Amino acid sequence: MRRPLEIKAEEAAARSVVSLTSALESISSMQIAKTKNKVLISNQFFDEVWNIYKQIRVDVMFNYGRVVGETPSKKELLILITAKGGLSGDIDNRLIRKFMEHYDETKNDVLVIGHHGTTKLKQSHVDYMYYFDLPEHDYINVDPLMDIIKKYTKSRIYYQNYISLSQQEIKDVDLSEVVSSRGRVADLATVSDDMVTEKTYIFEPNSYSVAAHLENSILRLTISQFIYDSRLAQVASRFKAMSAAKERSIANAAGLHTEYNRAKRNQVDTRLKESMAGLKKLRAGGAE
Amino acid sequence: MAGTETPSIDIKVYAPFKVYYEGKGYSISAVNEMGPFDILPHHHNFLCMLVPGNVIIEAPEGRKVIKIAHALMHVKADRVVVFVDV
Repeated sequence: MRRPLEIKAEEAAARSVVSLTSALESISSMQIAKTKNKVLISNQFFDEVWNIYKQIRVDVMFNYGRVVGETPSKKELLILITAKGGLSGDIDNRLIRKFMEHYDETKNDVLVIGHHGTTKLKQSHVDYMYYFDLPEHDYINVDPLMDIIKKYTKSRIYYQNYISLSQQEIKDVDLSEVVSSRGRVADLATVSDDMVTEKTYIFEPNSYSVAAHLENSILRLTISQFIYDSRLAQVASRFKAMSAAKERSIANAAGLHTEYNRAKRNQVDTRLKESMAGLKKLRAGGAE
Repeated sequence: MAGTETPSIDIKVYAPFKVYYEGKGYSISAVNEMGPFDILPHHHNFLCMLVPGNVIIEAPEGRKVIKIAHALMHVKADRVVVFVDV
């Protein structure tokens, strides 16, 4: 059996882990409340812009705002939104696993957002071409990302989606499908009043410019939404991981405390037995 | 005069994380590529991109001036929404 002092030291270390994981759990909990509120507000904004965009019926081909004649790369760009660092549970591992199912070195270029993703890719022996830090502020400037996306015919984004505190899922979507899947052209004679067309609306400077601008805005907003969603899912995953770690460390500390008490009692018993044996010997010696 | 009320419009000026103004207004003025313009009650459905400048709202509690960089304005059925940073 181990010595009580040794167990006591280990128990103290386990108690420190309990304090640390409790603190991280509390921080994650506060971040969830803050991030969730922001995501809800931005969702409302996004939904309203999206509703207008859905109703627009003018003949504009979606091309990511590329200049006419510009030839994009035939490769597909894979964009991964991952956490800033570790301590975010298994969410990034799950994202990398899903990405690896699709990834083909000869057909894909990789863009990573968030430092943790670069570490995970290195572990999987995958080279990435572009990297951006995970934005921390409310306003996200996605223009540098848009410039890269424009160079590719197809772009697929892998992101983390918050469902609940205990459930987060990994999603992947084709960006051009998300943004341009709605029918653009409509017969002006048959459109309803709900539609945003030249028949029902005044556009300035003109319908084509507004629709083209809105399409780029929608792409920008969509990417921002994915980043906001991922940030929320990451803090929720961290909360879940910290709660589990706290529970484990509490159980570990309690187990060590029991072991310490047992070892201490054992030590006392041994000393008592030794004393009794000594006393017995002394008495026996005195009788002689 | 009793029974007459100045016609107004519902106005909301907001960005993803900030509401600049939400409430009634008598008019809203802004600038787009064509130049400065005003939106008054009963305006026709309207969709435009605003250029950097001020959005001015004549509200019951006074004039509000909001500085914007880029925005999209949508007008429908006496409701004006300005989506800032779009």
